[in-house]
Amino acid sequence: MIAVTRPDSGNLPLFLHVFGAMAAFGSLLAVVVLAAAAMRRPERATLARAGWRALLIAFLPAWILMRIAAEWIRSKEDLGTDDNDPGWLGVGYVVTDLGLVVILLTLGFAFWWTRRRGEGWQGRVVLGLGSLYLVALAVAWWAMSAKPGS
Amino acid sequence: MRTYDWLLALHVTGAFLFLGGAVAAGVFSVLARRAERPSEIALLLGLTRVPVVAINLGMLMTIVFGLWLVLHVDDYELWEGWVLASLLLWLVTGALGYLGGTRERETRREAERLAAADDSPADAVALRLRNRVANMLSWGAGLVGVLILVLMIWKPGA
Repeated sequence: MIAVTRPDSGNLPLFLHVFGAMAAFGSLLAVVVLAAAAMRRPERATLARAGWRALLIAFLPAWILMRIAAEWIRSKEDLGTDDNDPGWLGVGYVVTDLGLVVILLTLGFAFWWTRRRGEGWQGRVVLGLGSLYLVALAVAWWAMSAKPGS
Repeated sequence: MRTYDWLLALHVTGAFLFLGGAVAAGVFSVLARRAERPSEIALLLGLTRVPVVAINLGMLMTIVFGLWLVLHVDDYELWEGWVLASLLLWLVTGALGYLGGTRERETRREAERLAAADDSPADAVALRLRNRVANMLSWGAGLVGVLILVLMIWKPGA
C-alpha cells in the first residue's frame, strides 16, 4: 500500500526501488549483527570474513539496484526539478548520495578488518558505520512513505 | 501528518523489518553453507535469532497496520482480490518460514553437538544445509514475501 494513486508505468521501478532498499537494509543488518558478534566471540576471523562477503555480495548490489531504480522512478514521475524537490525526496538523496561515502568507508574498514583476521579496532568502526547507515535507511523509508510536509 | 500517512509509514516499516529480516536470515544461511567447521556453522546459524525477531515484529506490523489501512481508506475493501490474496500469502509465508526455521534450528543443534565433540568438518551437517526440502521451505517463505510486495505495489483489480 505504497500510494493510493500512481501511474501503472511507475510500478516496476517502484518495486525494484523498494525491493532493493529492503535487501540493502536486510544485508546491512546481517553485517551489523556479524560485527556485533565479533565484539564478544572468539571466532573474529570467521565473522570478519562473513561481514566482508555480506557487504560485497549482498549489500552493494542491493544498494545499486535501489539507487538506479530511484532515478528510473524520478524520470517517469513528475517529482519536481532539482531546485524544487519535495523534502522527502531530498532525504532520500541525502541518504543515498552522502551515504555512498559511509558505504565506501564501511567497505574499506571491513576489508582492512579481514586482512587483520578480525583483530583490531576496524570491527568497531564497521559496527558503528553500519549501524549509522541502518538508522539512515530507516529515516529514508519513513520519509518516503509518510512524505511529511507534502 | 494525517492518519493515513502514519498508518502507511508504520505498515511500510513492518514490511522492511519482515523482508529485510528475511534477507538477513538468508545471508546467514548462505554464509553457513560456505563454512566448513561445525562450530562456524553453529555460530552463523545462531545469529539468525536477530533477524527472526525482526521478521516476527515485521509480520505483526504489516498485518495490523495493513488491515487498519484497508479499513481507513475508502478506495479499499477487505474483500478485494489483491487484499484477500495478500492475507492468504501472509499466512503461507508464515507457515513456510516456521517449518524452514524449525529445520534450520535442528541443523544448528547438530552442528553444536559436533562442535563440542572434535569440530571436524562433517558430512551430516553439510547434507542438512543442502537439504532441498528445508531450503525450499525457507527460500519459498522469502519468495512468497516478495509476492506480497508485488501485490502491494501493483494492487491488481484495485
